Amino acid sequence: MIAERPETMVRMGELAVSGEAGMALVALGLGSCIGLVLLDTARPIAGLAHIVLPDSNGDGDAPAGKFADRAVPALIDAMKAAGSLVSRLEAILIGGAHMFSLGGGSESTLNIGKRNEDATRAALKHAGIPVRIAETGGGNGRTVRVEVESGRVLVKHPGAPEVELYAR
Amino acid sequence: MKTTYSEMQLDALRELANIGSGTAATALSSMLGRPVDVSVPSALALPLADAVDAAGPAEDTVTAVVLPIFGDFDGIVLLLFPPADAATLCGLLGVEADSEYGLSALGEIGNILGSAYVGALGMMTGLGLEPRPPQTVTDMLGAIVASVLATGAESSDVALVLDSDLIVEGTQCSLSFMLVPSRNGVGEVLAGLGLVG
Repeated sequence: MIAERPETMVRMGELAVSGEAGMALVALGLGSCIGLVLLDTARPIAGLAHIVLPDSNGDGDAPAGKFADRAVPALIDAMKAAGSLVSRLEAILIGGAHMFSLGGGSESTLNIGKRNEDATRAALKHAGIPVRIAETGGGNGRTVRVEVESGRVLVKHPGAPEVELYAR
Repeated sequence: MKTTYSEMQLDALRELANIGSGTAATALSSMLGRPVDVSVPSALALPLADAVDAAGPAEDTVTAVVLPIFGDFDGIVLLLFPPADAATLCGLLGVEADSEYGLSALGEIGNILGSAYVGALGMMTGLGLEPRPPQTVTDMLGAIVASVLATGAESSDVALVLDSDLIVEGTQCSLSFMLVPSRNGVGEVLAGLGLVG
């Protein structure tokens, strides 16, 4: 990590929005979690949520980014508060891997990564926000970095260099 | 949902981890023909994000054996082998770490140690516990730990992590054990120990 690049770490269940030039939002080691990136197509404003599970089942005390059904509206609200408009938002999804299976039970309760992606996409669709690109599923972890000013979304796999997935 | 544990409950869980990892150390010692020490275990109830941070640098590549437990309580036993330690361990067993044999040897070590650990847990708590077949993954530490914690995070924002290290005497080799019970699992374990969950 290079010290002069200011970064905000978005950890499990957290979300962050920034309109600060030079700032990057980072979620390290996404496994079954989803990194949801929202970009403003017209202004340098970016948001990132580190979603852990699909459905809050009405649990209003959980961290804002933890459950997909609450994280999507919460991130949209934070983008609006930073000066964005819903009509200018686009989404990028990273993560949702299936790193190991627990055996037994039904597949739907076990593949948390897939359920996280489905729930996040459903909430984005409900809000009318298009998903530009998704790098999801598979069996490996990922790190995502979003550069606020350039709108670049960079993804890193274990033991590999960072690559650009998307740019506004 | 907020979850808290009393000092007495955490002490009891720490003791449980101590006996579980002690049994696992004995198993490892007889496999390697060398003494194996156990560190003093920790029992930490941490917010999910802090629990991931506590495991170590998120982007470090580690080999992990994931051993799900089902039965009277559900949870996951996780064994973490940092790459250098995995290589040392494979060397002691006479296999190449970066080969199929190496991974399968680590998986087998995980299976034996995890089963010993789970067996000791079952004995102490009087609970019927059944380990499922272990899976070996090599990936980012943070991604592994977060994915394990996610399985127990449905109803609690706090992760209970019982952590202990095994150190093979005369080497730099150590591996760490984590027991991550599901929320209901913690209640069952505490009840089995005679403490209200």
